[in-house]
Amino acid sequence: MTEQQNSPEKKASTATEIPQWQLDLDQVGFVRRIFIARKWYGGDWWFVVVSAVLLLFIIIVGIFPQWFAPYDPRAEVGPSLLAPGEPPSAYVLVIRTDSGVVEFKQIANRDNNIGFVIGSPASQAFREVVGALNAESQAAGEGSQYQPRPQRFESIEEGLAALENGEIDGYIASPDELAGVVENFTGVEILGGLRVEADKGFVMGTNQIGQDVLSRTIWGTRIALIVGLSSAIVAIMFGVPLGLISAYIGGTLDRGLTLVMDSLYSFPGLILAISIAAVLGAGIGNVIVAIAVLYIPTYYRIVRGQVLSVKSELYVEAARSLGAKGSTILVHYIFPKVIPSVVIIFSVNVADAILTQAALSFLGLGLPPDTPDWGIDLARGQDYVRRAWWLIAFPGLMVSLVTLSFSMLGESLSEILNPRLSEL
Amino acid sequence: MANEKDVLVQIRNLYVTYGTRLGSVSAVDDVSFDIYRGEILGLVGESGCGKSTLGKALMRMIKSPGEITGGQVIFNGEDIMEYSDKQMRDFRGRRTSMIFQDPMTSLNPVQRVDEHMIEAIEVHEPKTKKANITDRITSLIERLGIQKRRLTDYPHQLSGGMRQRVMVGLGLVLNAHLIIADEATTSLDVIVEANLVDQLREIRDEFGVTILMITHNIALVAEIADRIAVMYAGRFAEIGPINDVFEDPMHPYTQGLLRSVPSIRLDDQEELYKMPGEPPNLTQPPSGCRFHPRCPQAIPICARIQPELLETKQGRLVNCWLFQDQPEEAAHPIMVTA
Amino acid sequence: MSSSLRNFLITRALLTIPMVLILITMVFFIMRILPGDPIRSELGPKATEEQVEIIAERLGLNKPLYQQYYEFLWQMITLDFGNALTMGERPIKDELAEKLPATIELTIPAMLFTAFFGIFAGAYAAKKRKKAQDYGIRLFSIAIYSIPIFVMGLIFQIIFSVRLNILPIAGRLDPLLLVTFESPTNFYIIDSILTQNWAALRSTIAHLILPALTLGLALTGVFIRLTRVNMIEAQESDFITAGRARGIPENKLHYRHALRNTFIPILTLIGLQFAILLAGAVLTETTFSWPGMGRYLVTRIQLRDYNAVQATIGVFALFVAVISVVMDVLYAFIDPRIRY
Ligand SMILES: Nc1ncnc2c1ncn2[C@@H]1O[C@H](COP(=O)(O)OP(=O)(O)OP(=O)(O)O)[C@@H](O)[C@H]1O
Ligand SMILES: [Mg+2]
Repeated sequence: MTEQQNSPEKKASTATEIPQWQLDLDQVGFVRRIFIARKWYGGDWWFVVVSAVLLLFIIIVGIFPQWFAPYDPRAEVGPSLLAPGEPPSAYVLVIRTDSGVVEFKQIANRDNNIGFVIGSPASQAFREVVGALNAESQAAGEGSQYQPRPQRFESIEEGLAALENGEIDGYIASPDELAGVVENFTGVEILGGLRVEADKGFVMGTNQIGQDVLSRTIWGTRIALIVGLSSAIVAIMFGVPLGLISAYIGGTLDRGLTLVMDSLYSFPGLILAISIAAVLGAGIGNVIVAIAVLYIPTYYRIVRGQVLSVKSELYVEAARSLGAKGSTILVHYIFPKVIPSVVIIFSVNVADAILTQAALSFLGLGLPPDTPDWGIDLARGQDYVRRAWWLIAFPGLMVSLVTLSFSMLGESLSEILNPRLSEL
Repeated sequence: MANEKDVLVQIRNLYVTYGTRLGSVSAVDDVSFDIYRGEILGLVGESGCGKSTLGKALMRMIKSPGEITGGQVIFNGEDIMEYSDKQMRDFRGRRTSMIFQDPMTSLNPVQRVDEHMIEAIEVHEPKTKKANITDRITSLIERLGIQKRRLTDYPHQLSGGMRQRVMVGLGLVLNAHLIIADEATTSLDVIVEANLVDQLREIRDEFGVTILMITHNIALVAEIADRIAVMYAGRFAEIGPINDVFEDPMHPYTQGLLRSVPSIRLDDQEELYKMPGEPPNLTQPPSGCRFHPRCPQAIPICARIQPELLETKQGRLVNCWLFQDQPEEAAHPIMVTA
Repeated sequence: MSSSLRNFLITRALLTIPMVLILITMVFFIMRILPGDPIRSELGPKATEEQVEIIAERLGLNKPLYQQYYEFLWQMITLDFGNALTMGERPIKDELAEKLPATIELTIPAMLFTAFFGIFAGAYAAKKRKKAQDYGIRLFSIAIYSIPIFVMGLIFQIIFSVRLNILPIAGRLDPLLLVTFESPTNFYIIDSILTQNWAALRSTIAHLILPALTLGLALTGVFIRLTRVNMIEAQESDFITAGRARGIPENKLHYRHALRNTFIPILTLIGLQFAILLAGAVLTETTFSWPGMGRYLVTRIQLRDYNAVQATIGVFALFVAVISVVMDVLYAFIDPRIRY
């Protein structure tokens, strides 16, 4: 309020002053203009930039997952249910001192017994090593089958005692477990490492069949993007022309289509997608179709609404009275008006499609079971929810992140492109 | 009444600016004038010249991106620019009230007529008894020619004229001294409009309120107002008693404006005057007198230096170099705007 | 009730008939016209012609299309859908009568949570438009929308059931209590109150918290957004400016005048949201093993129980139509322009 006492001359000059950045707007190129716009749009500008950067990264990951994923998403690369960062522990084979065994192969036949503590990861190591032996012999064309019988024990002492008595031929345990115990049994010795301790574990752990969660999560991006983008594009290809035509022609066709589209729109989308996907059966194309159907009414409604309002505006009237053809009016007057809202809806729609696709695979519909897909991984992870949080957290985080980027872009674009705002 | 010279509001060097993407719009630019107690002051001007902005500024109701960038509004001797938010809320409604152009939308559609009035009284006079409130509302509304039973109606059940009278009632129910009517009658049809105008004059006579009547309709001002103020591009061109201004318009803009009004007395042969040029873009207003590019009587100084609103005759103020001493050019170099 | 209101309601109820008809027809055609073949997909590619015919006969798929359509319509009208093909082959009507209450018991608390939380957060964001609080709330609403319902549910299970162990992980009621639980209405809350079985009431509520919270939160994002946009619109309306000019305090203008007017568009949106709510219920029920309509649908799809699936989707369509009528009735009560 101290300002009031200022002389009118001073005021008069501030009233007509235009901030320099606003004048700059007219002189600079598109890129600079985007930066300058930051001052005008504030938080929404940052929303757009953050989501654009995220999306760029996500799209690169989706196109080239092999650059980022350390392992093949379908391969079993480690012990199962390994927590993130935890290195798979080493396992050693214990034998009787007098048995003369120098190699695991020697006691890996059908009539051999191998012991370990019940329910411990040693069983995993056992299975792995037998599998490796068989693969090896198959590759060498030997045809011999290794199939030692597993013997499960309540405790390590029990097992070592059984080994000493000759009931079993070998015992599998980790060096940590054996320390301080093995010395009490005179007749046994440690033969050597079955599996060495890895120096590093898996960043996001492994799942129940020993696949790398990180690699699967990265490869899942590809499926999500393919389904999300293609179903949105298919929906546009049907929804936009239908909306244009319906609004432009009007009459019975318009009323009928609108009624159908409104009913479709009011029906719970996921349930519709579930029923279509269930009837069509598994396959990525089917999923795309099932999801695309949900969004056709969205485009139809928005395009039809826009066309109706544009149609009533004067310049279309004028163009028509000047004898412009219907198609000219459509392309030159109506299309440009409709495009901004289609862009906004598109990005929101991709977000929603990705969510729907994840939901479908979570429910066991749509994709073949081995696909590296977030929804499938989450559905499997549900069975291990008490033990392995990482099976939920990482794919869940990734779905949310991708959806977030698309919807943030749509939301802030719609705030920025809001006609009332841009009028200023 | 107007000659009593009892000043209710003094506006001094008021500036209002809107910051837009295309630059700042100086919608009210160095406006000073007085409103006398009990008068009806008509404010006229082309669309976009800042009439509504001025009206809102008198109640400090300018919303972002707009801002009152300077000046004083002295109401009953107190500068309302110094008021706190709380004082301002008390001021609005109790001292000044406003009636807007569109009666369809200026009442809350889900609130009954009496609820509007009760709310206003409860906010400003929380101690009033329920029974007193009802009495006050009933007598007021009947005085305005609306039946009592209409009080429990919702706005959409009333006609446009009735709604506008309800808005007037909302202004009177708290005994406001000043009523600002911004195009209050524009959207009504002619007969309803005439009735409302008559009623406004009666109300002035009866309640002694002061009315600032913002309108496009010069004929209406001629009929009801005591004085007329003519605004052009954010500034006052001329202000004076209604008869004097109509008989002898001094500012070239006022002359043009009055000549472009269709009148019933006009001969069919006589062409309506059409003012040359367009109203200026207020982001970059013309230098000097803002009217000079369109002015048929412009002289060199008009393009360079802004004149002032000065009293030329008894009660008449004009903002034009034709009626004031022209200074040496060198004396005011700062005034030239870019 | 004035006569115009009655007329409005009757017209509105009549208008839903074509909508229901279209939805039901859609369900019918999806189940038949789409290229997938339910019989082949059930039996596998090696099925003999004979086997196919037996099943087709059983499902009524060998009849002409118009007759199938007519029968399906009749089933929807009488709500008599015949027997399920799997899992005990009970009448579908009875099975749905058990599942529907479970779904309703889940969705109503979720909807209430969403509506209260979403409307107030949205209104507050609108009040603080373009301030930090506004951006914060908007970011929250986008983020919450982006988390799939089942992920949110699983994370809640990990936190509250596995780690903290304070809430049950799944189901509607403690299995020990379920043995003796009497359930005439299948609304467990109502039943346990009726039978004064307080242990069951406590257990029911404990089981309800996580699923309802999950479903409610998942919808909040959309709600905040819609409320905010509509509030911003209402704020700009003339009657708010007029109220301000009468010296009505800002809070009152915002939370009373603007908000009350915003309820009208919001109510319409709640009607539309209900569709999303039902879709969300399918996922929530699957995640929390909640024995409602959604889980029923999913398990029957997995079992390829054609009859049950068709009937369940049909009932969902009816449900949507009923809700939209209910919403319009509420609408009429809130908006005086319709009431008179
Ligand atoms: N919210 C706003 N943002 C930016 N500029 C504005 C805004 N409101 C008004 N203006 C500008 O301020 C100037 C004065 O507007 P105002 O509404 O006061 O004119 P008016 O004389 O009341 O016009 P009308 O007769 O059409 O009501 C106009 O040039 C307009 O462009
Ligand atoms: Mg105006």
